[in-house]
Amino acid sequence: MKIRLLFAMLACLLFCPAASAQLTEKEFRTLHEQLKPAADEPWRTIPWKISLLDAQRIAAQQKKPIFIWAMDGHPLGCT
Amino acid sequence: MLDRASTFADPEIIKLLQTRFVPVAIDQAYQRRQQDAEGEFYRKIAGQGPRNNFKGTTQGLYVATAAGKFLAFNNNRGPERVMRVLKKALADFRPTDAAAIERGKPDARYSPSPPEGGLVVRVRAKVLGGYEDTADPWKRIFQTAISRDNLWISKSEHEALVRGELPKSLQVRIARFHLVDNTRGEPPMWKESEIRGLDMSLKDGKLRGTVQLKTASGKRGFDAQLFGVVESKAGKVTRFDLVAKGQFWGSGRYTGGAPKGKFPLAVSFTLADGSDTADKIPPQGSRGWVRGYVR
Repeated sequence: MKIRLLFAMLACLLFCPAASAQLTEKEFRTLHEQLKPAADEPWRTIPWKISLLDAQRIAAQQKKPIFIWAMDGHPLGCT
Repeated sequence: MLDRASTFADPEIIKLLQTRFVPVAIDQAYQRRQQDAEGEFYRKIAGQGPRNNFKGTTQGLYVATAAGKFLAFNNNRGPERVMRVLKKALADFRPTDAAAIERGKPDARYSPSPPEGGLVVRVRAKVLGGYEDTADPWKRIFQTAISRDNLWISKSEHEALVRGELPKSLQVRIARFHLVDNTRGEPPMWKESEIRGLDMSLKDGKLRGTVQLKTASGKRGFDAQLFGVVESKAGKVTRFDLVAKGQFWGSGRYTGGAPKGKFPLAVSFTLADGSDTADKIPPQGSRGWVRGYVR
């Protein structure tokens, strides 16, 4: 009986999510800051439009070609 | 992700796109299907390229004129190759008069907008460890990536948050569509039946919780703890900062290359202020099924 209990406690320590350390407010603050992207990411300096018709209108006005980044999932989000 | 950190981090490409082109980023799964002026213009351009069967993906980089004349296509996003394509397209480009296309009535199935009176929350994820060391620069991009998606909160959920409540619908949406590892590609979302445990509460502005997610096969899962701060003022949520952290395991069809076994993953949430173009992009989990996403 004692051995079974010991195994159960050990299994819980290893696999129960509740047994893992809780996320503290301090860790929350650190991670929240850590997951902020750098403000100066180079691709952000490109003036991306997200509507093809908006791009068409500007291209017609400015007489420039349209560059289309077309992906599965939105290239500026999604991943 | 790879493109943002490689092709579109190249100074020469950036300069050309800033000065000589009108750059636009789209999820072609919408434009190739939508029955409106936006979709028609896209199909006109892509139909002149090599990927002109609109039943399948038309993914790639295109260059076209405002009149819809196709100039170039490339689906190899290596910076040198893209540079050659841009330069050739510029050499072939002849400016002509073109009228702005009337938008008309948008195809509602592919033109989702954030819920009126609701909230848009930026969501980012990062694998915190577990990868094997690599000298491969492409793998390193994935291994250090911070992903980006948006969480939409409905008007009624927004009002509930202001009252200090945390609606079940929002808890489920966070778990199913946002506690995902999308750092290496489009992730599989969780089915409702894959939520094995969900316990979130909001008390005195502090959000605490635990979530257990696992597929039927057990090959993919996430055991996470959550902590967050929700503040409101004058009937509006002014702060929605949340972090989920835990052990993730497994990968999806487009998210291969995950660390072996269980690995630490963190997901953070913060209110969007509209200053980023990407704030307007629909959540990946709403793709083709907005009513299933915001219930």
